[in-house]
Amino acid sequence: MTLLINPNSSRRLFLRQAGALATLGAASPLALNLAAMGAASAQTAPDYKALVCIFLFGGNDAYNMVLPTDTASWSAYSAVRNQAPESIALLAPGTAANPAAAIGSPARLGGVLPIVPVSVQGRSFALHPMLTTLQSMFDTDRRLAIVPNVGPLVLPTTKAQYALSSHLKPANLFSHNDQQNTWQTFQPEGATVGWGGRLGDLMAAGNQRAIFTAISASGNAVWLSGQDVRQYQVSGNGAIRMGADSNGRIYGSTAVAAAMDRIVRNGRGGHVFEGDLGAVSQRSIDAEVALRTALKPASDALFGTAPASGTYNANNDPKLRYTPDPLAPGTTAFNALAQQLQVVARVIEASGSTGVGARRQVFFVSLGGFDSHDAQNRNQADLMARLGHAMRYFDTTLGAIGARNQVTAFTASDFGRTFTSNGDGTDHGWGAHHFVMGGAVRGGDLYGNFPALALKNTNNNNFDGSPNLLDNGKLLPEVAVDQFGATLGRWFGATDTQLLDVFPNLANFSNRNLGFMV
Amino acid sequence: MSVLRRKRGLPAVLLVLLLAACGGGGGGNSSGGPVAVTPEMPASRDAAARFLTQATFGPTEAAVDRVMAIGYAAWIDEQFTKPVFAHRATWESADAAAKAADPANTNAGVYQNGTINAFWKAAVTGEDQLRQRMAYALSQIMVISMQDGTVGDNPRAVAAYLDLLADKGLSTYRALLEGVALHPMMGTYLSHLRNQKADARTGRVPDENFAREVMQLFSIGLHELNTDGSARLNAGSRIDTYTSADIGGLARVFTGWSWDCPGWPANNCFFSGSLSGASDPDRQFKPMRGYAQYHSGEVKAFLGRTIAAQTAADPIASLTEALETLANHPSAGPFIGKQLIQRLVTSNPSPAYVSAVAAAFADNGSGVRGDLKHVLKTILMHPEARAVNSNSGKLREPVLRLSAFLRAYNFRSDSGEFRVGNTDNPGTSLGQTPMRSPSVFNFYRPGYVAPGTRATAAGLVVPEMQIVHETTVAGYVNFMRDNVSAGVGSFNSALNRREMQGDFTADLVLADRAPELVALANRKLMFGSMPAALASEIEAAVSSIVIPVSTGSNQAAIDSAKRNRVNAALFLTLVSPEFQVQK
Repeated sequence: MTLLINPNSSRRLFLRQAGALATLGAASPLALNLAAMGAASAQTAPDYKALVCIFLFGGNDAYNMVLPTDTASWSAYSAVRNQAPESIALLAPGTAANPAAAIGSPARLGGVLPIVPVSVQGRSFALHPMLTTLQSMFDTDRRLAIVPNVGPLVLPTTKAQYALSSHLKPANLFSHNDQQNTWQTFQPEGATVGWGGRLGDLMAAGNQRAIFTAISASGNAVWLSGQDVRQYQVSGNGAIRMGADSNGRIYGSTAVAAAMDRIVRNGRGGHVFEGDLGAVSQRSIDAEVALRTALKPASDALFGTAPASGTYNANNDPKLRYTPDPLAPGTTAFNALAQQLQVVARVIEASGSTGVGARRQVFFVSLGGFDSHDAQNRNQADLMARLGHAMRYFDTTLGAIGARNQVTAFTASDFGRTFTSNGDGTDHGWGAHHFVMGGAVRGGDLYGNFPALALKNTNNNNFDGSPNLLDNGKLLPEVAVDQFGATLGRWFGATDTQLLDVFPNLANFSNRNLGFMV
Repeated sequence: MSVLRRKRGLPAVLLVLLLAACGGGGGGNSSGGPVAVTPEMPASRDAAARFLTQATFGPTEAAVDRVMAIGYAAWIDEQFTKPVFAHRATWESADAAAKAADPANTNAGVYQNGTINAFWKAAVTGEDQLRQRMAYALSQIMVISMQDGTVGDNPRAVAAYLDLLADKGLSTYRALLEGVALHPMMGTYLSHLRNQKADARTGRVPDENFAREVMQLFSIGLHELNTDGSARLNAGSRIDTYTSADIGGLARVFTGWSWDCPGWPANNCFFSGSLSGASDPDRQFKPMRGYAQYHSGEVKAFLGRTIAAQTAADPIASLTEALETLANHPSAGPFIGKQLIQRLVTSNPSPAYVSAVAAAFADNGSGVRGDLKHVLKTILMHPEARAVNSNSGKLREPVLRLSAFLRAYNFRSDSGEFRVGNTDNPGTSLGQTPMRSPSVFNFYRPGYVAPGTRATAAGLVVPEMQIVHETTVAGYVNFMRDNVSAGVGSFNSALNRREMQGDFTADLVLADRAPELVALANRKLMFGSMPAALASEIEAAVSSIVIPVSTGSNQAAIDSAKRNRVNAALFLTLVSPEFQVQK
């Protein structure tokens, strides 16, 4: 293989890349294309790939996001979820929206939205009424796939096995912080390495600057931490310049600005916390310098809408605003998830530039508020509207920059929720249905058995009528997060051996490729 | 560096006599019981300032004077007797003023910012600093947040919640837990307000939210603890404190609770807080009432206790048993005690330190369990709090960095309301606002381990690192850069300046003497702990700002240069890692 050396690369970078080539071997899918990396124009490299994790914090009620609408399923669904004082049972396909009903109520939303997967499993299905954009993404564009009943598992687990203390299960099920961590690291709170970061570790050698391998547009996410790769966080508005004005002065002084730069980068007292804090400032300052020139502005037509006058304000950008109430289509509100995806798109668009120089990236964005113990109708309706709008915005933007086939987004959440209702909401569950979106996704289908619904037992809170429902109708997952992640990781470029290393429980499952990627 | 640094000029013999005369701690203080023996009097003003950094929202000269005069224990005891800052009354006063100033505007009022500003007014000017610091610590354990829409719509009640924490925070843990469990804002946040018993016929089940979180976060945690805070082990594995069945059983206790109401216990009062148009205007913060008709009479089994079936449902009896069970659980002392140590003193207390605090929780020496005054005094007087160790200390959270600055420079507010407002934005502000945590899990977890850090490699937790990233470090620097030069808070158009202004008189006097200027910043903000290398760096930057020679007509330029020197000294101190890490 001929190595075309980018004259801007440092010697150390060259050695690292050459070393990586040696260890990867001839059959590696990582065909290093240094010429593309050196391109001055900001385009993604031809073999660029990115994974985008859309984390729904709080535990999304997947029962109301993807629904089985065949007669048997629907009658169980409606009976179990229609509880006083506020039924959380959504209404049958074709039900007209009632403008006189309360905001977010099933009556005001109208019926659930039919989707027709390729393999219908002898049933029929629909999406939450707010997800019109994802209905078309699934049925028409065929860039959306659904993986039913995913959750953390150590081993395949039946109901009988679940009851055995000897059958290995993830720790601290149903605890928010631990399950958020388990989805991201396969361990409860306290782990420091996530599978997104591990995939980044495997690919970082192909990136010119390791700092831009694993990026959060939300808060800190351990999913992005690898053994070597560290998370870099960027705000929705882009990287923030620390301290100095555009003339490099603070209080009119370049010396003060220079002193600030030196002071924040490290502590001089020897305390370990000071050094750690300083490391974050170093990354912040150095990364901002690169992104300052590499990123196209948010107002660029690729990502946003230039204002008629004045400076760009994301809050006013129509592309970043969603419609909370379809019966009031003129009223829109700012969608922070869309803005997170906007900066992700800007980084992807700049990934081929010398400032970024990345060929494999993992991104993390998030939406909070899914813990719908009460007021589920109103709260989830708003969240579904945001999710649907943001995912369609991202897909459209990826289309504009020509990167649809190279970027795969997927949803994740602490857990699903109980099937039963507490009167206006639900409690913590386990398995849940999730979306995968992208040009490389074999969309328009379900990848896994859709769970059977049933009525609750008369004398207790169990569901003897379904093998998939535990107490209160928490879903017993059929697909492990390891299997879900490995399917994404395989597309991303990891080998079978590498996948077994990144996904600790994968060896316990025979199907290591769920098949939703081309 | 040693806290027991000899004060310049004081003969060693006299110092020893002072220490001997004051004796060890304990005895005669209002919270009762012996505390760990530790020097009673601060060895220096810097030592006193360091203590005040732990026990208040930031040291002031006046507070240092007081600690120097009467010593640590007496200062703590005196704090317990100070007049209590009233958040709700402060909110009401500001809200009335806003309405009076704009009577034609039906939307006039202070809303959420009124609650946030009341917090800052207490933090900056309140006399009962230790009580309020405890309340703030408790607000990060027994969390409610105005990020929740309904909670956010009731800022007056949230101010009352802060008052509850300030009041019960110096009572017993049992009383605190009850006050929190029955506060309607907690009932709203964790959805046990209007929670109904199960309906066997339809299949509705009780909401489990509060039952789960009161165990996981407010009392005993996920795993059984030894008194030193370590996890109890059974054959090498941690022991879960509760199961899903325990949650289900405890959830039944938290059914049938709703607003106080003139028509209590009418059905309508339970669902809407009113009957025939009559409601209690204070229902959003008066303790919730039990409505027997909606309370579960089923057997309630949790944590090894069984409340027998009630033929006549009795919410108060159920609640009493539940709170007693939680408060008496052996894990409660170490679980709560260790977190309080982390909020005030150090992120990584030794097992011995946690044990001492857990012991103080278990018994205050007079047979009382959960005496929070005694717990607080034990935390602050423990030798591990009074001494500096290489890995001890904590990363100051953004709110406490700002409060230290505001107090050190005696900030005053044009409006009197301390209009700091919402400081959520991580790119332009603190990335943290009191009473606006992102979830019931607080801004950061007590056990947070930061990936890829030297702290993690050394086996240390750093909770406050959970909200530190590349955007927040820049946002904080830029925010403080402008706070130092322009003042803090909302803009006062009448005076064309930000409405909170500091007093830099003493600093301006030293503007032409960089070493003394920086030394003063060191004393005010870092209790003398600034390393020489940092001081040199700051002095050089300060000195680089030229003060023009007086021409007789350039006083404005001279004043501006002096002010910029002061700005530089304070700013560079405030953004230094050494200031941000409290040791």
